[in-house]
Amino acid sequence: MAGARAVLAALAKVTRRDRKSIFSFSANNISYTAVALLFMSDPGALIFFGIIVALILFFPLTADPLRKIPPDRLLLWPLTGRQHWALRAASIWLNPVVWLLLALFVWKRVALDLWALMAVLFTLGFVAPWRYFSGRGLAARRLPRFPTHLNQLLRKNVRELVATLDFYAALVLAVAAAGFRIAGRLPADAFLPLTMLVMLLISTYALSLFGLDGEGAFTRYRLLPIPGWQILAAKDAIFLLISVLLTALLKPLAGFAAALMALTVGHSSSVSRHGDERRWRFQTSHSFGVSVTQMVLMVVAGGATAGWSALAAVPCVAIYLLSTRRSGRMLETRIAESVG
Amino acid sequence: MISCRALTRRFGDFTAVDALTLDVPKGSICAFLGANGAGKSTTVKMLTGLLRPTSGAATVCGLDVSGDAAALKRRIGVLPESLGLFDDLSVEEHLNLTADIYGLPKAEAQTRIEQLLRALGLKDGRATFARDCSHGMRKKTSLAMALLPNPDVLFLDEPFEAIDPVTSNVMHEILVKAAQRGVTIFLTSHILSTVERMADQFVMIRKGRLVLNAFAEDLPRSIEELYFELAEPPMAEDLAWLGQERS
Repeated sequence: MAGARAVLAALAKVTRRDRKSIFSFSANNISYTAVALLFMSDPGALIFFGIIVALILFFPLTADPLRKIPPDRLLLWPLTGRQHWALRAASIWLNPVVWLLLALFVWKRVALDLWALMAVLFTLGFVAPWRYFSGRGLAARRLPRFPTHLNQLLRKNVRELVATLDFYAALVLAVAAAGFRIAGRLPADAFLPLTMLVMLLISTYALSLFGLDGEGAFTRYRLLPIPGWQILAAKDAIFLLISVLLTALLKPLAGFAAALMALTVGHSSSVSRHGDERRWRFQTSHSFGVSVTQMVLMVVAGGATAGWSALAAVPCVAIYLLSTRRSGRMLETRIAESVG
Repeated sequence: MISCRALTRRFGDFTAVDALTLDVPKGSICAFLGANGAGKSTTVKMLTGLLRPTSGAATVCGLDVSGDAAALKRRIGVLPESLGLFDDLSVEEHLNLTADIYGLPKAEAQTRIEQLLRALGLKDGRATFARDCSHGMRKKTSLAMALLPNPDVLFLDEPFEAIDPVTSNVMHEILVKAAQRGVTIFLTSHILSTVERMADQFVMIRKGRLVLNAFAEDLPRSIEELYFELAEPPMAEDLAWLGQERS
């Protein structure tokens, strides 16, 4: 086991260097939502949301420090299959978010059956089919032509968004809610909370808009003779479209306002830090602090639009437009400087 | 067509490119040579507007590289070191993207794309997504993107590395013909035999400083001899333990 121990020690060092403060450890907006709900909720009430969100997304999908090692390098090291399994099992515990969730489950005295479910999902994490699912089928699916010179960028952005687990988590919740709504079994009071949950589930993507573009794609953006705001707009248009579609049967205007705030925070984080995200993982390379800021603004915007006045969407649009203009300029500079 | 005057780029205390001065005339193929880390890619990035010079000046097609970025981008084609491809676009979609962004007429774009796919051996893999392409295919796709808008100047960062010999020959022919028609080509490479066959100007840098700037007819010795003399002396370390029986 010396080899696995050496890799784990190196991994712990890298992880430690990444975590200089509470704002530097990362999971995903879904994990943070789950933590918030555990704080606020009666554990029994977690069945509907918890199963979809907190548990399905639990170990090791939400926390995978092993991603810090390039997969090709990991395969080249002379480790046995058993050592790989041990490494995978041990590396999960290097993420403080995992310890936090575990502590909350103990503190809130989650029922034994939920623990059992969690254990099953933990095991499933090791053999999760999406580890091997590249999304080629989805990516290869024919997409409509958008009548603009940004057509190929828009098509690419659709493929990226549907290659995230967050999208499917939001889709599951949105379809379930729509089903209840159509059947007339969803109380009107539930529209807004469900809209916000759907938006929180999908919002991590907005934090790292360029994270799935691929190695070197930032350089390509810089070489294209188009302004930065158009590059951002091509990203945002798809996110806004999907957000409105997912919340169409709930509170679409609140969903739209929340999406604008998700993008406003996301612009800044996407441009200032080019995170290299991985597909089919509930994790972002962006920090806890940025996620919390984004989530709070989304809830405020969505809540104000639905609960106070539809006019609350107007300042959201204005703030979003300012952010697009500012971050578009930053994007041009950022790309220029990042390639040095 | 390309002109640098005391072009310098520093990263903190480290000077990657130190007061580089050179001129590349229209229709030339300029081979920009040097060891890894000598400052080649940094120079290419400055000349293509990807990186701001710390000091000095450079013009490409008469345009200041620190000036109107969009105008410069419309005149040049670039094969960047990182290739600059999107994982979620196919080979053909990358070319369509370039055609759309540069506003090429649809029929003309389609003709050029078909020709490029054939010439670079990409026809069979046209629907392959970049993330599923081999490194060679990715490089050829990026090269095709650089050629498609018919640029005045081509900047090619290591175009022949990881390319099969047949494609390498095809690329050689394409580039030589393009230069004869007036396209200026500025390329970096470590494959000295290939660049020696095609380039008519050789620029060499070592630790960011210019050590050679000569036209082909003025070279005193072969480019390989000059490279080992000026750019990077061969290493003489003997790893005696390599091949010994393991204890």
